[in-house]
Order: sequence, then C-alpha cells, then structure tokens
Amino acid sequence: MKKLKNFLWSLFVQPVILIAQNKTGLVGFIVLLIIIFMSFVGPYIIPLDTKVKLDKIYQPPSWEHILGTDSEGKDVFSQIVHGGKAVLTVAFLAALFSTLIAVTLGITSGFVGGRADTVIMFITEVVLTIPQFPLLAVLAAFIRLSSPTLLAFILGAVSWPALTRAIRAQALSLRERDFIEAAKILDLGSFHIIFSEILPNMMSYITISFVMAMTGAIYSQVGLILLGLVPLSGHNWGLMIQLAWTRGAIFFKDSLSYILSPILAIVLFQWSSVSFTRSLEGIFNPRLRVRR
Amino acid sequence: MRENSILSVQNLHVIYSALRGTVKAVRDVSFELRKRECLAFIGESGSGKSTLGTSLISLIPGTGRVSDGKIIYRGNSKEVNIAKLSENDVRKLRWKEIAMVFQSALNSFNPILKIWNHVLETAKAHGVNDKNFVRKKSLELLELVQLDPERVLKSFPHELSGGMKQRTLIAMSLLLDPKILILDEPTTALDILTQKNIIELLKKIKSELELAMIFISHDLSIAAELADRVATMYGGKIVEIGPTDSIFYHPKHPYTKGLLKAVPKISGGFEELFSIPGEPPDLINPPSGCPFHPRCQYADEICKKEAPQLERVEEEHYVACYKWRGIADEK
Amino acid sequence: MGWLVKLFRNYVFRRAIRAFITILIVVTITFFIVRLMPGNPIEIYIGQLMSQYGMTFQEAKNAAAALFSLDLDAPLFSQYLDYMKNLFRGDLGRSFVSQGVEVVDLIASYLPWTLFSVGISILLSFSIGIALGIVIAYKRGGLLDQIISGISTVLTSIPNYLLGIILLILLGVQLQLIPVSMMRGTVSPGMKPGFTWKFISDVFKHAALPILTYVLSTVGGWILSMRGSTLNTLGEDFVTVAKARGLPERRITFTYVGRNAILPLFTSLTMQIGFMMGGSALVEFIFVYKGVGWALWSSIGQRDYPVMQGVFLIITIAVIVANFMADLLYGKLDPRIKAGGSE
Repeated sequence: MKKLKNFLWSLFVQPVILIAQNKTGLVGFIVLLIIIFMSFVGPYIIPLDTKVKLDKIYQPPSWEHILGTDSEGKDVFSQIVHGGKAVLTVAFLAALFSTLIAVTLGITSGFVGGRADTVIMFITEVVLTIPQFPLLAVLAAFIRLSSPTLLAFILGAVSWPALTRAIRAQALSLRERDFIEAAKILDLGSFHIIFSEILPNMMSYITISFVMAMTGAIYSQVGLILLGLVPLSGHNWGLMIQLAWTRGAIFFKDSLSYILSPILAIVLFQWSSVSFTRSLEGIFNPRLRVRR
Repeated sequence: MRENSILSVQNLHVIYSALRGTVKAVRDVSFELRKRECLAFIGESGSGKSTLGTSLISLIPGTGRVSDGKIIYRGNSKEVNIAKLSENDVRKLRWKEIAMVFQSALNSFNPILKIWNHVLETAKAHGVNDKNFVRKKSLELLELVQLDPERVLKSFPHELSGGMKQRTLIAMSLLLDPKILILDEPTTALDILTQKNIIELLKKIKSELELAMIFISHDLSIAAELADRVATMYGGKIVEIGPTDSIFYHPKHPYTKGLLKAVPKISGGFEELFSIPGEPPDLINPPSGCPFHPRCQYADEICKKEAPQLERVEEEHYVACYKWRGIADEK
Repeated sequence: MGWLVKLFRNYVFRRAIRAFITILIVVTITFFIVRLMPGNPIEIYIGQLMSQYGMTFQEAKNAAAALFSLDLDAPLFSQYLDYMKNLFRGDLGRSFVSQGVEVVDLIASYLPWTLFSVGISILLSFSIGIALGIVIAYKRGGLLDQIISGISTVLTSIPNYLLGIILLILLGVQLQLIPVSMMRGTVSPGMKPGFTWKFISDVFKHAALPILTYVLSTVGGWILSMRGSTLNTLGEDFVTVAKARGLPERRITFTYVGRNAILPLFTSLTMQIGFMMGGSALVEFIFVYKGVGWALWSSIGQRDYPVMQGVFLIITIAVIVANFMADLLYGKLDPRIKAGGSE
C-alpha cells in the first residue's frame, strides 16, 4: 500500500509542488488546465455556431463574436472551444503510446544494459535518423488516416525513438546512484526495484517526456492537416488553419482573427506545456533552480 | 605585524547570504603567517577553514564576502590589504604571490587543453612570455614532483591519473615562485598510497623551497607530519593555536583534545571509538559565547555569555577557553 | 601508416560506417514500404493507367516498370537488388507526372535550395543561440535573462510552419514590408541564374523569410540549452581553479566556460538538423519555396511515387550526412573522443 502511495505521490503531488515554486511554471500549468477544461468541458457549455450567415463573413472581433467570424459567417470563438478536443485527444493518445514504448525500452536499455541495450539502441538510432515529418507525410500518402486512433498510433509509432533515448539517459544516470546499489544488495527483486525505486524517481522526468511528446504530436498532427494529408472532418484547430489557409484568409485584414485564433490556441497550449515542464527540470539540474 | 611575518589576518569576518539568513562562516579570526613556516588549520566540515583559505585570495565561492577585518599581505616589503584589492589587482596576485591548490585535482584542468597549454597560459597571464623559460621551469618542477615531464606536458587531463593530476597541479602552483602556497585538503579523495606520496612531496617542497604554506585539513595526522604550527578551528573561530608538538602533546582546548582522542590508535585494542558528542553549530544562529559550549563537558555560565579570547598558555601556544587551566592533561 | 590505421579504427571510421549502414537500412525500408504497403503505389498506378488510358494489364505494367526502372515480373528480392544497383548508379526512376523526367534531375534542381536555406539557418541559429545563451547565463536572474528566456520559451512553442504564417501575415500583409512576390518561390520568375548581384540578391530576398522562420523557431532552444550548459560549466572545479591561477576573465569565459559548455549541445545539433530538414516539408510549403521539402508535398499530392520515394530518400540521406559531419566536428572539439575513446 505504501508503495502505491509513494508512486502516486511522485506522479501527481511532487510535480505540482515543484511547479508551484516557479512563477512561469505555475502560470503555464494554470493556462494548460484552462485550455484542457475549455476543450473538454467547454463544448457542453458553449454551443457550436453552425449557421451560415453570408452577410457576416469575416467580421472582426466584436462583443457578439469575440473572435470574429469565418468565411461563412460562423462564429470563430465557438469553433475554438470545440476544436481542441480532437487535437488534444489524438495528441494524448499518441504521447501515451509513444511514452509507454519509450519507458519500457528506455528503462530496459538503461538498467539491464548489455546485449539488450545494444540492440535497442541500434534500432532506436536508426529510426531516429529518419526525419519524422517526411516519414509521416509519406505514410499518410499510403495509409488513409481517417480515424483519430489510427492517426495517434502512427504518430506514436514514429516518435518513440527520441523519447527512448532520453529516458535511457535518465535511467543510466539513476543506475549509478547509491540507492539502486543498495536495493540490489538487499536483493529486493527486480519488480520491486522498478516500481518502488526507479519509477518514482523518474516520474517527473517521464511526465516531462510525456508532455513534450504531446507537443510533438500536435506539431505533426497539425502539419499533416495543413498539408491536406489527413481526411478529417469535424471541428479541429488544425482543420481551421487549413481551411483558412486555403481560403486565403491571410490576405484580408478582417479575416485575421479566423486564422490567428486557432494558431494562438495551439501556441498557448505548446507554451504552457513547455513552461510547466521547465519548472520540473529544476529537479534534474539544481543549478537551474530559480533562486527566490 | 611582526618582522618575519608574510601574512597578517586581523579580525576577519566572512559571511554568506543564504536563503535562511546570513551564514557567519569566519568569525573574528586573527593570525600571522611567518616566512617559510607551514601553518595547518584543522577542523571539521563547517568550521570555516576552507572559507578562510579562499578568502586569502579573495575567491570566496557563491555569495560569500569579507564583512570586516583585514588580510594584510607583505610581499616585497609592500603591504596590501587583500580584502580591499580591486578584482584586477587580486587577479595579478593570485598564483604569483599566493597560490591555492584545492581539494582533489580530479577536475581542476580544462578537458580541452593540454597540460602545457595550462602552464603557458598561466605564465602569460602574469606577464611571463618567454616560452623557453616557461618550458624549462615547468620541466624542472614536474621532475621535482616525480613525474615524467615531457609526457605530462603533452597530455590532456583525462590521460592522467588522479595522483598524477594532483602532483601536476602542485608543480604548476610553484611555477611563478609564490611566496605562499595554500593547500585545501590536497589528499582527500586520493587512495592512501598516493596520499603518502603527496605528503612526502610536500615535505620535500617545504624543505627545498622558500615558501610559506597554509595547510587546511580535517586530518590531524597529516598536519602533524607537515606543519610547524597548528590552529584548530571551530564554529568559524580559531580555538587553539600553537607549535605542532605543543598542540599534539599538550592540547588545552576541549575541542582539540576531543579531536586528538577521536583518532583511532593502531596500537589500541578494540575499545569503543571516541567521537565528540553533539553536532556542528548552525552558523546562521551560532551559539552565544564560546561556539563549543553546547558540546563541551566543562562548559558553564561564563562560557555561554561571552566568547573567550585567545590567551597565552606557553611560548607561542594560545587557547580560547575559560576553563583550560582546570582541565588535566590526558595521556 | 600505423597511425592512420589507429585513427580510422576509431571515432571517425566508426561514425562513417554507422552512417553508411543507416543509409542502407533506410533505403531498404523505403523500398519495402513502397511495395508492401496497403495501397501499393505501383499497383495503383497500373490500375490508373488501365482505367484512364485503357491499357491492358501487361501494357500498364510495362509502363510502370519503365518509370520505376524495375522489372516487375522478377521476384521481389531481385527487384530489390536492381533497385540498389540503380541507386548506386544514380537512377531513381522517372517521374509519373513530368513524363520521363529523371527523378535525379528533379531532385538536383530542388536540393540546393533546401541545403542553402536550412544550412544558413542552422549556422545563424546556433551562433546567435550560443552567444546569447552564454550572455544570459552570466547575467543569470537579471532582467535581460528573464526577458530573453521568456521570449525564447515563447518562440520554441510556436511550430515553425505556424510561425511562417504569422511572419507572412505580419510582414507581408499587415505591415506590407515585403512584397508578396518575394514571399513565394525561390527566385523571381524569369530570373537568370549566374553570379550576378541581381540574381544573388534576388535569391537572398526570397530565402529571407524561410530562413527567418527557421531561425526564429529554433534559436530559442539554443539559447536555453546554452544557458543551462553554461550554468553547469560555471560550477566546474576547473573554472574555479582557472580563477585561482589568475587567468583573465576573457580567457576563462571563452576557453574554459564557452568551449566546454558547447560540447553537450552537439547531441541536440544532430536532432535539430533532422528536425529542420523534416520541417522543410512544411516551411517550404508555406512559402512555396521550391526545395526538396516542397517537392515532397507536391509529389505526394500528385501521387508521383518515384519522385516521392526519391525525395524522401534524399532528405533522409542529407540528414545522415549532416549528422556525420556534426559528429566529426564534435570529435575535433573534444579531445576525450580522439584518443580512442568510446562514444
């Protein structure tokens, strides 16, 4: 029971404490929560404007339409509220998939070492050398990425190497630490060592890796959508940008809100993720810690 | 300041600014270093000895600074207060007048430069530009420390062992003929055989060169071998100072006695090891009066009220304690 | 002669071999992906030819074979060997869309633009990044540090292609600083290539926005990494000892702190090269900058499989070669590597 408590504490509580110590990290964390709330709960609160109003094309921001209207007169703000869920869900699944692989391979490679390490690292390095986005683009040309799960799977399948390398590096540095030696000497069994000693210490790092994997998945996802390689429909920030782009929204002063709003939403999510993870980095590198 | 003294530290206070408050690392320390003498500072971690060492070349780490007192250095008959020197002047003085060798040279060299480059740039930094002279001198010094000079000079730091690096650093410290050599725990983190070698080397240097040395350590036995005088430090203060023999055979301060007692004897049986009870003081809120009183078996009211000053015990031997007269010598 | 053997037994040789093997593996994977994927492009193309042009299966197959420089009747493995043979000869097949044009020729016209823009960007970004990084590390906690770190974090959060859009909007449409024609393409239409000032300045004007996009989106990362690495290095013993030796501040900053702080950044350099080349697919799309990235999108869109395959290969090979060069550079900078050490 205590092991479970330790594990959960290191997963949820410890990172929060660390974040709170860093101002920017705290702001980032809050913004992140707001975006997540808006994307998953928001759609139930704010209805999507689907009425085409041809007399209200490309209206600039006003009290009625906080972020203006799009090329068909539809409200942009409601689209933003509804557009996050699809993007974030895919990103979450992709990151989950990617992190699971990376943690398994990385920890095995780092702690077990030897043959396993050599083989895993070899495969990792080779896949890592292939530029991710072109690979995704080419795969998208052959595989119809119509379902979000499939998309998430492909994204995860392509991004695990970078994560694996990072986790392995972290595992390697932990391995040298005394408490692992102590646990081994006490013959505490591999399972125990992994879950009670190794994972809690790596949890913050894994959280950082997970969040960064999400940002990477968003980059790739929106990129693929922008290039028109993903036959998605529905409400999606990426799709908004793609539509705005193909409709030439960048060229009209009044339509700026239409294309900039989803961009801003994405940038805010990326920024808050990065800020929040930076405050967690403080534990790995005490010299970077903010002095108050 | 005495006639044959080369360094005079007067009422020195060094503080650090920490999150919790001000750390008073060195409190009202005064002593003089004479030419060609080796003065050892002994104390546990946190006694202030390392801070004292770094303050002598104005290289106190982090937020540390001298808050009061003087560090008077007399080189070539001119006297300067190191604590008040400009950064540029202090830089010129470092290594050339006063050289400091830190604990364990394992990471003291720039990994991307060969040893020869280290030597040459040090010389150049102090205006010595004659490459041939520098080369000759460094070869001599490396021989003095019993290393293969040619090989060491063209090596990168990672190609040398820990012991070799320590010796190289010591050799390099003598490059500009400093008047004072400060060594802070020069043998910690080295294996025992290498330790012995380094000590022998330091003894040799001491006898052959005209140097004054300050030796900082927690290790009494090493101090006994090298030092002419020993000062024990506790809680940022010097609690006892005197010739090595006096300190070792007739220690007067309870802390010094405790230190000596704590050294396990080879000849002894399996009696219980002695250690001084209690913990080192919190230097942000140091104990009132004598810093040692919380751990001292002889302490009473006066010890808690006011810190004792150093008073004379015998020739050259001083102790800062109110109770020393009443304490019998131990065997 | 002996020293030559020793050197090559080491770092350089090993990295070269690894680069070569990786290329072989990637090339092999590419071949099998194209043939074994659902929606096998060759079969699709054959189907297309049959339905669009009314060819018989055999005719269509022959046409496809010609375009891919492959004998489609031979067993898969021998097709693979042919494919490899062709590669070594520089034969990447012929474009579906631009009938009969050699893929190699197409790539040769696209590649230089990407190498040019990405190459300059990496150099600029890295240099500016490490310079600013070390500056703010020294002034840690101060106003400059907070501002630059903050801006850096924001910049790294913007996907490079979105940054490109923002720049387009900001500079081109809103502020009208740059004429629209300069924001698209690699050169103005009708421009004659040559070492004339007119041509060169035109090239730079068109490359300016893509380069600005690449640089702005990556410089933040370099600044923050260098800041961290410098702070680490500042705490090293040899820096303190350097001060004790009375070395001048300038020397310490460059040769003791700077040179050592850069070393860990090289691992990121290899990743960054890959990322930038990969990102070229999007950045070139935004600016219609006709490099290999744009060619990838264009060939995917047109289902021009030989070109797609060739471009993908070239992008990957370029990354592998660039990484190899970065590895070499690192080997030169860190003496611990030269002396026969492991990686």
